[in-house]
Amino acid sequence: MLVIVALSFSLAIMISIPAGVVANQESTQNLAQRLNSTIIETEQQINQSTTLIECSTSSGSMFSGPPSDMSGPPPGMFDRPGSSFTREEFYMNESVVGAIGSIVGVKDVVPFLVKSSSESTQETIATPMGDFTVSRPLYTITGVCLNSSFIDEYYVLPTSITAGRNLREGDSGVLLMSLNLTEYYGVGVGSEVDVNGASFMVVGIYDQAGQNSMETRGVYMNLTDAQTTTDETGNVSRLDVYAENVSVVDTINTQIQTMYSNEINAREITVSTYVDRLANLQSQQTRYTELLNNTESTVAQTQSVATQEIIVALAATSLIVLFVMLYTVRERTKEIGTLKAIGFSSWNVMSQFMLEGIILSLAAGIVGIGIGTVGAPILSGVLLPAVNPFGSRSTGFQTGGPASAISLGPSTASAVVTPTIMLLALGAAVLLGALGSLYPAWRASRTRPAEAMRYE
Amino acid sequence: MSEAVSEAVLKTEKVTKVYTMGKREVRALSDLNLQVNKGEFVAIMGPSGSGKTTLLNVLGCLDKPTAGKVVLDGVDVSKLPERELYKIRRNKIGFIFQTFNLLPYLSACENVELPMENTKRPKNERRQRARELLKIVGLSGREDHRPYRLSAGEQQRVAIARAMANDPAIILADEPTGNLDTENKYEVVRLLANLNINRGTTIVIVSHDSQVASHTERMLLLKDGTIAKEKQGLHLVKKKLMCPYCGSKIQPNDERCPSCRKRL
Repeated sequence: MLVIVALSFSLAIMISIPAGVVANQESTQNLAQRLNSTIIETEQQINQSTTLIECSTSSGSMFSGPPSDMSGPPPGMFDRPGSSFTREEFYMNESVVGAIGSIVGVKDVVPFLVKSSSESTQETIATPMGDFTVSRPLYTITGVCLNSSFIDEYYVLPTSITAGRNLREGDSGVLLMSLNLTEYYGVGVGSEVDVNGASFMVVGIYDQAGQNSMETRGVYMNLTDAQTTTDETGNVSRLDVYAENVSVVDTINTQIQTMYSNEINAREITVSTYVDRLANLQSQQTRYTELLNNTESTVAQTQSVATQEIIVALAATSLIVLFVMLYTVRERTKEIGTLKAIGFSSWNVMSQFMLEGIILSLAAGIVGIGIGTVGAPILSGVLLPAVNPFGSRSTGFQTGGPASAISLGPSTASAVVTPTIMLLALGAAVLLGALGSLYPAWRASRTRPAEAMRYE
Repeated sequence: MSEAVSEAVLKTEKVTKVYTMGKREVRALSDLNLQVNKGEFVAIMGPSGSGKTTLLNVLGCLDKPTAGKVVLDGVDVSKLPERELYKIRRNKIGFIFQTFNLLPYLSACENVELPMENTKRPKNERRQRARELLKIVGLSGREDHRPYRLSAGEQQRVAIARAMANDPAIILADEPTGNLDTENKYEVVRLLANLNINRGTTIVIVSHDSQVASHTERMLLLKDGTIAKEKQGLHLVKKKLMCPYCGSKIQPNDERCPSCRKRL
C-alpha cells in the first residue's frame, strides 16, 4: 500500500511536470507570438511611417481630439470625431494629389476619403482604466485609391479578411465591411446593401479586432464610389505622402507647409511626419525584442529543469518498482520454488512477476494521474520556474502604435493535465513497471525448484 | 525380473550427487540404484544427512545428479535440459511437501487447479477435475476456503489433491506427515494408502518416522547416500486384505483389525 502511495507520487510528479511545461509553453508561445507580430508591425511602422507625411483634413485626420464626453483615455485611442454627412467639413480637392506628387523626392501620394454617417451608436469600450461608453458614428466610409501598387506596398486596406475577399484594383460597386457591421445589419458576403441611396455588393468581411478605431465600424470601397456616394466628388480627406527616403521627409514637409500655408493656418489641414516618433518606435522595438529573448530563454530554462525532474522521477519510479519486486521475489522464493516444482516453466514465472510489476505500477499510475490532475497546478508551480519575461513588472502595459494597441500581461500559466499527458503517463507507468520488474522477474525465474523444499 | 523391468516407473542407475561446499566435497548420493514399479507404495527412510531429500530432489527432477541415470516413465530425465524438465515435473510427477506449500491467496480449488494452469485443458474442465479431486481427499464443501481457514491435515489433503491434478506417473512426498499431529498423520497416511490401493497411484514417500513408513509396502533404508537395507511394510498385507497379526479378513479402509483390534 505504501508502495502504491510512493509510486503514485512520483508518477504524479511525472504528470504535472509535462502539464506545467505544456501550459508554460502554450502561454509563452502565445506571448512570443504576440511579441513577434508586434515586433514585425513596429518594424513596418518604422519603415513606412518615417517616410510618411500625412496630410489630413480635420474630418479625416487620424489623431484628432477626443470627444467632448471623455477625458480619461489618451487622445486618438478611442474615437473618431463625431462628423456626419450633414455637418460642414473641409475637404481637399483631388488636384492636390498631383501638386504634392510633383514635389521632388515624393515617391507616392495615396489619397483617401473618410466620411462618417450622421447616425450614431453607443458603444462600450473596455480599457485598463475602466469601461467607457462612447458615441460613435454608425458607420464610417473609407474610400481607397485601389491602385495595386498602393495595395501591395502600403497599408491602405484592412488585412484580416474573415470571409469573401479583399478589395482589389478595378473594383467598383462593391465594398468591404467590418464583421460587427455585418452582424449589426445582418448581411453577409454577396448581400446587396444600400449606402446613401446607392446599391453596393459586399465582397468581403474583415475582422475589426486589433484594428484601429476608424475601422471597427468601417466600410471600405473604391475612392470614386465613395466620392459619389457621399456627394464629395473630386474631394479627398487624407493624403498619405511617401518620401523616397527618410532624409527628404523634412524638405517635403516644408514644401507642403509652404504650398498650403493658408489652409494649414486655418487648421483645415494638418500635416504631420513621424520622424520624431522614430526614436520612440525603435526603443519600443528594443523592449519587445528583449522581452522575446527573455521569454525564449525562460522557456528553454523551464524545459531543461523539467527534463531533469522528469528523468529523476522516471528513475525513482523504476527504482521503487525494482526494489519492491526484488523484495517480493525474495519473500516468495518458496512459493516460486513450489510453482516450479509443480510444473511452471521459467517463462511462466517470469511473465507472472513481470505482470505483477506492471499491474503494480499501472495501479500507481492511475492513482498518480488522480493526484497529478488535482495537484498539477501546485506541483508544477513548485517544481518549475515561473515564466515571467517582464521581470518585476506585475501589471500589464499598453503600447499605442499608429496602427494598433497591444496589451501584454505576464503569463498566468495554469497546468492542465490533458488526455494526451494522461495516456503518456499510463504508458510510462507500464513501461517503468516492466523495466523495474525485469531483473526481479528474471531472478524469480532462475529460482531453483528445490527451494520449495525449504522448511520454514 | 524381466516382468518387473517392464513395470518400472522410476529407475536409477548408479546415481551420484556431489555438493561442493567451498573446498570440501560432500557426497550426498553415491552409486544409488533404485527401482519403483507401477502401483508401488514405497518409503525411503534414513537418519538426517543420509541424503533423503537429495534423493527426492533428484527423483523429482528438481536437481540433477552429478553422475548416473534417472529414468522416469521411460524417459532419461538426467539428460534433459531445464526447459524440458518443467514439462516432466508438470505431467509425470506430483509433489507433496512437508510444509504443504499451498499458495495462501488462492482457494483450495484454485490451488488444485494450479498444475493444470498451463495445460491445454479448458478452464471449466480444470475446475471440475479440481472439485473431483477434493472430493476424493474428503474436502467436499471446502473448495472455496483459503489455506489459512483449513487445518494442517486439510491443507495437506489439498496438497495431495494438487499432486494428483495432472494424473502423474508417480507421487513424491517429502515428509508428508512431518508437520502434522498424530490424528492427522494417520489420516494422511491412510489417504495415501487408499489412493495407492483404489487408484493404483505409484507413491514414494520420504520419512524418518518409522511408524508412518511401516504403512507402505516397501521400506528403503538410506545410509551414507546409498540404500543400505530393504524391508517389507504393513501395506503389503493390507493390499492382500489380511490382518498381519491374526490373519483375519480386513477392508482397505479399516483403521483397526475387526477381530484383534490392533491398529493397522
